[in-house]
Amino acid sequence: MRILLIEDDVATADYVAKGLAEEGQVVDVARNGKDGLFLALNEPFDVIVTDRMLPGPDGLTILRALRASGISTPVLVLTALGEVDRKVEGLEAGADDYLAKPFAYAELRARIRALARRPAPQAELRELSVGDLHMDLLRRTVRRGARNIELLPTEFRLLEYMMRHPGEVLTRTMVLEKVWDFSFDPTTNVVDVHVSRLRRKLEAGGDPPMIRTVRGAGYVLSSPTPDQG
Amino acid sequence: MIRLRSFAPRVALTIAVVVLVTSFLGAGWGWLRAQDALRQQLDLVLAAEAEGLVRDYETYGLRGLSEVAEIYSRRQGPLFVLLQTSDGRPISGRLPSAPAALRGFATLRQSGDSAPLRALGAMLPGGANLIVASDLSSVDRAAYALAWTPPLAGALAALVALGLGFLLANGLERRLAGVSDAARAVMAGDLTRRLPESGRGDEFDRLSATINAMLARIETLVAEVRQVTDDVAHDLRSPLSRLRQRLEAALARARDPAADGETLEGALAELDQILSTFAALLRIARTEAGAGREGFASLDLSALAAEVVDIYVPVAEDSGRRIEPSIAPGQRVSGSAPLLRQALANLLDNALNHGAGTIQVSLRPGAVLEVSDQGPGIPPEEREKVMRRFYRLDRSRATPGTGLGLSLVAAVARLHGGALTLREAVSGRGLSAVLELPQAGPAEF
Repeated sequence: MRILLIEDDVATADYVAKGLAEEGQVVDVARNGKDGLFLALNEPFDVIVTDRMLPGPDGLTILRALRASGISTPVLVLTALGEVDRKVEGLEAGADDYLAKPFAYAELRARIRALARRPAPQAELRELSVGDLHMDLLRRTVRRGARNIELLPTEFRLLEYMMRHPGEVLTRTMVLEKVWDFSFDPTTNVVDVHVSRLRRKLEAGGDPPMIRTVRGAGYVLSSPTPDQG
Repeated sequence: MIRLRSFAPRVALTIAVVVLVTSFLGAGWGWLRAQDALRQQLDLVLAAEAEGLVRDYETYGLRGLSEVAEIYSRRQGPLFVLLQTSDGRPISGRLPSAPAALRGFATLRQSGDSAPLRALGAMLPGGANLIVASDLSSVDRAAYALAWTPPLAGALAALVALGLGFLLANGLERRLAGVSDAARAVMAGDLTRRLPESGRGDEFDRLSATINAMLARIETLVAEVRQVTDDVAHDLRSPLSRLRQRLEAALARARDPAADGETLEGALAELDQILSTFAALLRIARTEAGAGREGFASLDLSALAAEVVDIYVPVAEDSGRRIEPSIAPGQRVSGSAPLLRQALANLLDNALNHGAGTIQVSLRPGAVLEVSDQGPGIPPEEREKVMRRFYRLDRSRATPGTGLGLSLVAAVARLHGGALTLREAVSGRGLSAVLELPQAGPAEF
């Protein structure tokens, strides 16, 4: 996977680039908006991560220029702390995701992976399947093997999100944002409660577990394999 | 200060000069008018005198009349009578520089410094000429005297104006000096200082009252900022100190991968808590500054509330609690969905973390959202305080949270033009948080 990182803060850029490189990603770093825009326009990338505030053209300007040139590479915008309310602005400019600084590296990695594996929009998609778990998006039903699983609407939305990103680490923040549109961190363990309920329903009847907790990061939904059992 | 000092005297001086100039111009005009009127009066006197003399002539003949003329001449009065033959030779009487055979009125100039004469000439039935004349100087003197009265009065008025002006200036200067002193004191940092008010309720008092209200507002704001700064310092210093101690202790002891890992994890968790406090503070600040208002849209508050409640129902159940929603459908408000979602979530977090028993969430017509629980509640005197940043009841110190939840809800309420009120739950036990929002009109399709 080739990633473009546009970030003027040297420490942040080095830290992120090093982390991604250790996972075997190819990372190009631009230290200002001008270089970043040049690279983004002329090189193929799987994901672009850009700071919002940059010397030269800022993150949103780069984003608009890319979209205007017909480049639809997923873009993750990094923003200053406390400016989450400006998310709408970024999304309107064509950002695919938004992350406030300072962030946990695990959070950034999870989001980059989610963006890179983002499937092309499938308008006709009516069923999601992960292993023996099947979700009918039209009838709003879920079954595991032959067993029907009754889900509350909130649980259904959570499972749908997880089934659209099988095998990916989904952080609590991602769940809060993408499933419930919560742009803040509740002081109660909302996500854990919902995930554990979902887990219980999926594993009822002795089926092997599908949702795994990644310590310090989040949750992964994947097809149960014997070695994971 | 020089300008302030000279303002009132300048006004007084201007008024004095205007009064003086106006009265002098008036004097000129008055002099002309008075002179004119007095001369007409004089002409009437001359005509009446001449008429009397003609009657004397008709009664006593030329001889009688010439005796009368002699008497007038001897009198040295202001009135002169002259009798002439038909060809203009004097018969009797006296008149300096007499013209021959004058008919009608004429003003006669005289040689030297003598005042001009006003004269009326007529032919007597016998052919002789009669001229009656009077000195104009008395008329002019009277006109002069009359004309000078207003400017003298004007000059007096100007003097009085000047005096009053200076008195007024003194008063004004004293009041302005009071204002100025107070303003300087405020500038020097005494925010409790207020402008003096005389109690007369005049324009100055009204201005002072307005400025005092402004100063009171500034004092409150500065006090709030100070309070927040103190609170930020206090609430961030504790976790930062803990963090430092933890890292220091870890560094001092022998390296042990397992223990070090644990220390670092703990440090990260601590740091995340600090960062979330920062994020909450910044969000409150931005909300209070009006950020997010541009994203306002008409939204279905009923649907939003139902969704948030659905998310929290399992959380309550897991901690052995219950949420009882009663949500009136179709309640619309104009607002920011993310902020309203967070406001309700904060109220529910609060009820779960600090309250007890069943949590009732109701949305009543008129966009009144109420979250109440059956916990210990908040004493009335503390209710205002918990809406401030960082204020936490002593018993809540150990529970999770930044102490900023209710502050944000209050800020969101204000941003939407509504209000957050804390009161005792209707059950008589527990806290009830009421979020009142201005209702939006029916949705436009």
